[in-house]
Amino acid sequence: MRKKGLLSFEEESEEINLTPMLDVVFIMLIFFIVTATFIKEAGIQVERPDAVTADSQEDAAILIAISPNDEIWIDREERDPRVIRSVIERLHAENPKGSIVIQADEGSTHEMLVIVMEAAKAVGVTNVAIASDME
Amino acid sequence: MRHHLDDIHVDEEENEINLTPMLDVVFIMLIFFIVTASFIKEVGIDVNRPDAPMTQSKPEESNILVLINSNDEIWIDRRLIDPRAVRANIERMHAENPEGSVVIQANKSSTNKMLVQVMDAARQAGVYNISIADSN
Repeated sequence: MRKKGLLSFEEESEEINLTPMLDVVFIMLIFFIVTATFIKEAGIQVERPDAVTADSQEDAAILIAISPNDEIWIDREERDPRVIRSVIERLHAENPKGSIVIQADEGSTHEMLVIVMEAAKAVGVTNVAIASDME
Repeated sequence: MRHHLDDIHVDEEENEINLTPMLDVVFIMLIFFIVTASFIKEVGIDVNRPDAPMTQSKPEESNILVLINSNDEIWIDRRLIDPRAVRANIERMHAENPEGSVVIQANKSSTNKMLVQVMDAARQAGVYNISIADSN
């Protein structure tokens, strides 16, 4: 419903100028696209061991959880110990710079941890950390 | 003449690109990225520093060997050590041999709680070069 003449001019000046908002929204959009890292979460909660000297793992890309019953969870699915190597390989290819954090439950056995670490080493990930809680 | 100018003005206004659909798309993308942004802060202990060489390349005697047996008991230097005393023991051995790294040899059925405890103790003692030996 456009009117000709003077009225049209008045209407136009009353309209809100969207350009600055659009600028802000675009900058936010770019920020979130750039910072989006898409961490592969393990899918279960584990009771992590306490540690005083734990560091924050900034570039964690793949989280591997070991449940108290020695089940290995990667990417929200329980995995067989024999296939974790190929799973890690696939996830590592998506983000080659990311490191692996193993969330081993307090009650999980060392055997499973070694299996996971061996798989990570076989894939070529050198940056492996064991998750812990800050005391 | 004035009438003619008005016509031109109206034409110009209609030629302007309508930004609203683009704004909708941009907003939906923005919301998507805000929602999927997972600012997970994982804390943990590095097992092998990237610059640290593998344990095999080091002479045996330069390492502080910590054993964890299947009952979660810690043995250092052929002595059973209380978990709370691990730090002091590693500190002492590290003072004797400042270049040695800590090598943890854990039994397959030992729990990871004990492993992390020993690693934490070693780091508290100032040894950040920790390796986990293959237990085979």
